[in-house]
Amino acid sequence: MTTLIINDKEYHLPLQGHETLLEVLRDQLGLTGTKTACQDAECGSCTVLINKKAVLSCLTLACAVAGEEITTIEGLAQGDQLHPLQQAFLDHGAVQCGFCTPGMILAAKALLDKNPKPTEEEIRQALDGNLCRCGGYLKIFDAVKQAGENLAKTKG
Amino acid sequence: MAMPNAHYQEFTQPVGKSVPRIDGRGLVTGQTKYTFDLAFPNMLVGKMLRSPHPHARILSIDTSKAEKLPGVKAIITAQDTHQIRFGSNEYFFPHTSDQMALELDKVRYVGDEIGAVAAVDEQTAEMALKLIDVKYEILPAVFDVLEAIKPGAPQIHENIRNNIALILPVNFGNVEKALKESDYVHEDQFFTHSAAHCCLEPHVCIGQWEDCSDKITLWVSTQAPFKIREALAKCLKKELNAVRVIKLPTGGGFGGKLEMLPMDFAACLLSKKAGGLPVKICYSREEEFSFSRRKHAMHYKLKSGVKKDGTLMAISGEIFADGGAYCSYGPTVLAAAMMRIFMVYKIQHFRITGYRVYTNTPISGAIRGFGGVQSGFSIESHMDLLARGIGMDPVEFRLKNITTANMVTTNKMILSTNGLRECIEKATQESNWKGKWSKQKHLSRGIGIGIAADVMGSKMYKAHESAGSIIKIEDDGSVYLFTGAADTGQGSNTVLSQIAAQELGVSYNRIRCTSADTEITPFDTGSFASRVTFISGNATLLAARDAKNQILNIVAEEYKMDPENLSLEAEKVINKKDNSVIITFDKALQLCYSFKYGRQIIGRGSYNPKTTPVDFRTGEGNVSGSYGFEAQIAEVEVNKETGEVKLLKIWDAHDIGKAINPQSVKGQIEGSITMGIGFTFTEDLKLKDGRVVNPNFANYRIPRSVEIPPIESILIETNDPQGPFGAKGMGEAALLPTSAAIANAIDDAIGVRIKDLPITPEKILRALREKEKTEIKDKKEREL
Repeated sequence: MTTLIINDKEYHLPLQGHETLLEVLRDQLGLTGTKTACQDAECGSCTVLINKKAVLSCLTLACAVAGEEITTIEGLAQGDQLHPLQQAFLDHGAVQCGFCTPGMILAAKALLDKNPKPTEEEIRQALDGNLCRCGGYLKIFDAVKQAGENLAKTKG
Repeated sequence: MAMPNAHYQEFTQPVGKSVPRIDGRGLVTGQTKYTFDLAFPNMLVGKMLRSPHPHARILSIDTSKAEKLPGVKAIITAQDTHQIRFGSNEYFFPHTSDQMALELDKVRYVGDEIGAVAAVDEQTAEMALKLIDVKYEILPAVFDVLEAIKPGAPQIHENIRNNIALILPVNFGNVEKALKESDYVHEDQFFTHSAAHCCLEPHVCIGQWEDCSDKITLWVSTQAPFKIREALAKCLKKELNAVRVIKLPTGGGFGGKLEMLPMDFAACLLSKKAGGLPVKICYSREEEFSFSRRKHAMHYKLKSGVKKDGTLMAISGEIFADGGAYCSYGPTVLAAAMMRIFMVYKIQHFRITGYRVYTNTPISGAIRGFGGVQSGFSIESHMDLLARGIGMDPVEFRLKNITTANMVTTNKMILSTNGLRECIEKATQESNWKGKWSKQKHLSRGIGIGIAADVMGSKMYKAHESAGSIIKIEDDGSVYLFTGAADTGQGSNTVLSQIAAQELGVSYNRIRCTSADTEITPFDTGSFASRVTFISGNATLLAARDAKNQILNIVAEEYKMDPENLSLEAEKVINKKDNSVIITFDKALQLCYSFKYGRQIIGRGSYNPKTTPVDFRTGEGNVSGSYGFEAQIAEVEVNKETGEVKLLKIWDAHDIGKAINPQSVKGQIEGSITMGIGFTFTEDLKLKDGRVVNPNFANYRIPRSVEIPPIESILIETNDPQGPFGAKGMGEAALLPTSAAIANAIDDAIGVRIKDLPITPEKILRALREKEKTEIKDKKEREL
């Protein structure tokens, strides 16, 4: 049995060892908020957080992150209270088709956790691995900036 | 009694406001289920059997070994089908229905579908594909358009001579005479390359055919559920009502999800053969690049003339479009590539002949812009060169020749509102065109313009272009909007809900929107040709008006008033005479559903734009009920050492009639420009011997976060009397001029002209070297 800690919840799973984290999240646990558009580490849609760092779940073996703190998009909102990043994405129209959104938001969270007041250039660099085909990048940058400011305010 | 819901005090006049997306919370929390995420108990995995050859005759298909593989539940080939050909432009071009869901005797491109399997898991399905023994007789193949039209080239379709699937001649006035009368005549050739849609959610569907009830259901990621239903019913030889297509939240479309693919058909038929178990087929990214649809690569030969004062006298030429193996939406892509020119330029003498040519390559079809991107680059580059030829500022040249409001074009398009002049003026003003154009060469900086226009819908597969909407309002005041329009991420559910709320006079927060299900929602031709806000928006407006009138009639009856004197505004029924409040919306609904009245409120709306049929033998006809306009300016800096182009900024002024949701409108503009930047510089679907050689994001580079320049969008509101609250459609036009604006800016910066896309550092360096050589030669000649 492998123990995965996802969004503060423990899952005990009979893994064989070859399963990627992406497969376990989507196919075994039904956590389909994590997407993939390439399964080849090129699109960033499958981004999740491992110990607050953004990683590609399609490249990560699930058993390699046993016991680590895994955060997926499902773990961000507190009840019906959206995370400031999620709220900022809505407020700034940073969501079009939404398929890249979970990965974008998590990549942005990893950035803000390290650097709450990023410059636009830092945001661009942090999201360089996340493709958005609807082309909503400029609105995404605004949303991340705003979320950083809002998070700073709430932390006082 | 329940207290009034404070939530409903918000967004009571939502049109013109950037309200949050109606589906936003699901999208940002990951709770939204796309078809990609959907699974059913006992669901099987389907895979397509494809041709490895670009052109071959199928001699035999032996599935016996695969059938014996444990876990394989169904295998189908053309023998299991009715062998019916389908297409996407049947109404205007019936002969272009040229593809079978599973090909029977011949394959025409690498990837052509000839069978499918369903198995308990992906590995088993893939193993089964390998066990199917197909014997082919390989035929000579042709990959190049100009080779394909030569006599003696391999014939790809029976009865189609020279592989020319379609010739579209558009001919007005007297081109020869007008060219003779011109002071300057210029000839050009332009080449545009192929590109891919790259929706992040790939093509994916789940088919289920319950054989006892004979019910066929397809859950699918699509832009056009009703179109898929039609093609499925045709190929399955079923009535339309036997097939139910349910469109789920869709992760992008961009023209690639506008038609039935063989996978949709196969999922249903495999399910039947597997005893009714659901079958899911999901494209891999490689399949998506290689076997879905792609952009027509096009070759433009143009010859046009102008007077010294800048009057555009004539445009003539030929367009050759690489159609790939089947027609798909090719005819309308080609038609749209030509017709758009009339929307932009006042031109009386025009003769362009378009050829759509079959090759043994992946199928070219619709992609955001419908031929307008290819024409945008070629025509707008060409116009710049004409202006330069007579020493005229390209902006002045355009202002002199553009269409205006209240005019009928040479090919009988009716332009009622037209903000093109204002678009050009605003864009040039904001970008400081006058201060920059031809003045920054010392910095290797330049500025360039491109202009464009767009339709709001075009009849592609039906005699009509209508959309329907239904609005039901229940006794608690909940408003349900049912639309057949397909939101693929552009936000049409939000915009339609805003229109419904505005017309009803209620809060946007009351609206629930269902889209789309062919058994539940009214018919809608789909999300294409920037038509949804305009056409589906009008249908929704009419449905809301109908529902509102039903409510007001009951209130009038109760209060013994004339319903004409009542209106519904900001959640209240108002006496228009003295602006007094008669009753709240909630109370009005309680009244409608009271013991005394007990009347259901169900509003209906149907809208078909006022158009005239296009005569495709001449190019004459008013294809759209309204037209949108656009001017775009790009500023670049070129590194002459490396050939690299840096985009400094893009200004975009867009006549959108009225912005129902300004944030969404800007999102569409920025998204279009982003796609345009990709197409201009890095995106290039490369083929070798008919096979896509870069089927992944590592080798097919779409724009990334670090590559996006600042974009300034300027919204021009011309309030179209035909549009819902004055709105026009949009979503494609901003992509059309991008490549030309950039190419024109490069010419301004460093004096070289790139005529074949994509623009790469190698091409810039080569052009600079050639320019240098010519200058040295000219200098020597002058010295001699």
